[in-house]
Amino acid sequence: MQRFGQAIAAARPRVVAALAARLRDLDLAEDAFADASATALVAWPAQPPRDAAAWLWRAALRRAIDAKRRAAVRGRAVLDPPEPEPTPEEALMAADQPIPDERLKLIFVCCHPALAPDSRAALTLKVVCGLSTDRLARAFFVAEPAMLQRITRAKKKIAAAGVPFEVPARDAWPERLEAVLSTLEIAYAQAYEDAALAARDVAPFATEVLRLSGLLVELMPDEPEVLGLAALVRFAEARRPARLDDLGAMVPPERQEAALWRADLIAEAAALLDRAAQAGRSGPRQILGAIHATHCARAEAGVTDWPTIAALYGVLAHLRPHPAVAVNRAVAIGEAEGAEAGLAELARIGPIEGWLPYQAALAHLSARAGRDEAARAAYDAALALGPPPAERLFLEQRLRAL
Amino acid sequence: MQYMILIYEPENAYAGEAGQAALKDIVAKHMALAGELRAKGIQKDGAGLQDSTTATTVVTQGGRQTIHDGPFAETREHLGGYYLIDVPNLDEALAIAKRVPVMDGGKVEVRPLIVH
Repeated sequence: MQRFGQAIAAARPRVVAALAARLRDLDLAEDAFADASATALVAWPAQPPRDAAAWLWRAALRRAIDAKRRAAVRGRAVLDPPEPEPTPEEALMAADQPIPDERLKLIFVCCHPALAPDSRAALTLKVVCGLSTDRLARAFFVAEPAMLQRITRAKKKIAAAGVPFEVPARDAWPERLEAVLSTLEIAYAQAYEDAALAARDVAPFATEVLRLSGLLVELMPDEPEVLGLAALVRFAEARRPARLDDLGAMVPPERQEAALWRADLIAEAAALLDRAAQAGRSGPRQILGAIHATHCARAEAGVTDWPTIAALYGVLAHLRPHPAVAVNRAVAIGEAEGAEAGLAELARIGPIEGWLPYQAALAHLSARAGRDEAARAAYDAALALGPPPAERLFLEQRLRAL
Repeated sequence: MQYMILIYEPENAYAGEAGQAALKDIVAKHMALAGELRAKGIQKDGAGLQDSTTATTVVTQGGRQTIHDGPFAETREHLGGYYLIDVPNLDEALAIAKRVPVMDGGKVEVRPLIVH
């Protein structure tokens, strides 16, 4: 049964995308796929399909056409119908053709900049990956009805506002690609966050995001930032087994047990980053990937190459000016050139009192500089800001170690 | 699909001598864009609106109607004009919306019309 479940999950993006392209209705596409999957789980044990995706495509398309016919009888208006509307017979004939690959179009629809970034991430994981609303609600820290509403609104806007089911034109490509990449980044940030909170529960969510980033590489193999993002996600995932200690406290990359890191994912990520570099067009995800790569290189080198990490954060600060980048750079400089240099860099950002990353960095650098008083104050301030459980435990450990 | 393109600009965008010069320039750009869109059969309608100080609002509430001086909401940006266009999808509507000339801080809202 599990093997059939996996086959269904693997076929999902291709089949749902083809259904959505043909039906111009995301709900109908999802419902038809769910129906076909349920039928498959009953039918397949007795008679396994030769081609699971083709079987699901045929079954789902027939169901969708039936549903549309019933809806037409009820007089329900179907928004944005395909032009020209295929007759049911034509559609049934299409069901016997190989499944068209409409996955890229589906991703561009779900990640359309006309949708709010959080909605894009949730919608993509729901429609393309098939994650349940309940799972998404937990991953995004919202109540399930709120998540359902977010997804429903996004689908409604796609239909009502006339978001086209097309791969964007060349002049719109950079903006649209950026929207896809930022959507994946939100999804991954959520998976990462999630991990720190509930290590056992997360794996499926992070695995889906990993798979989605791989799908993007398959569909856009020549986009260096797509490769960079896929590398980044793999590097970060490779370190997951070492991210928490036995007590559930966060362990920063430079203190993690490198033997626990997954060498297979690191190798995969390094190859992706190399491919990206060959395109000769750098970008923020590639730089972030390179930072992760440098951390992971400790597995071989034995020490962390902090000067390189500090320099990479310097480049990133130009590409993506953000306080979080500046804080990370200050910490890296603290390791590379000494804690006082790091503190000087942090002072240049200016105090951001109510912001956890700032207080945590200030505490760390102050402790390294032997300024226990300042470190204690900053650890207290950081803890008062309500860090997630794994980080709270970590900060408490460091505070006790002073 | 038909889309309404609503143009919002800061109230004082065209104030003063420099503002009036900018207005002349923007109006010329609107004329050029509208001419092109009409020639292509894309634009169905469109106009610039007079200053929001000329607006009068009718409010219906509790079965009574009252007339008020001014626009319905006092905001820093005011509705300055609109285009009504007919294009196949949102992407094409957005591409046109990006070409609508506005002063710095201007916002252009794209709304599909209800299909009957």
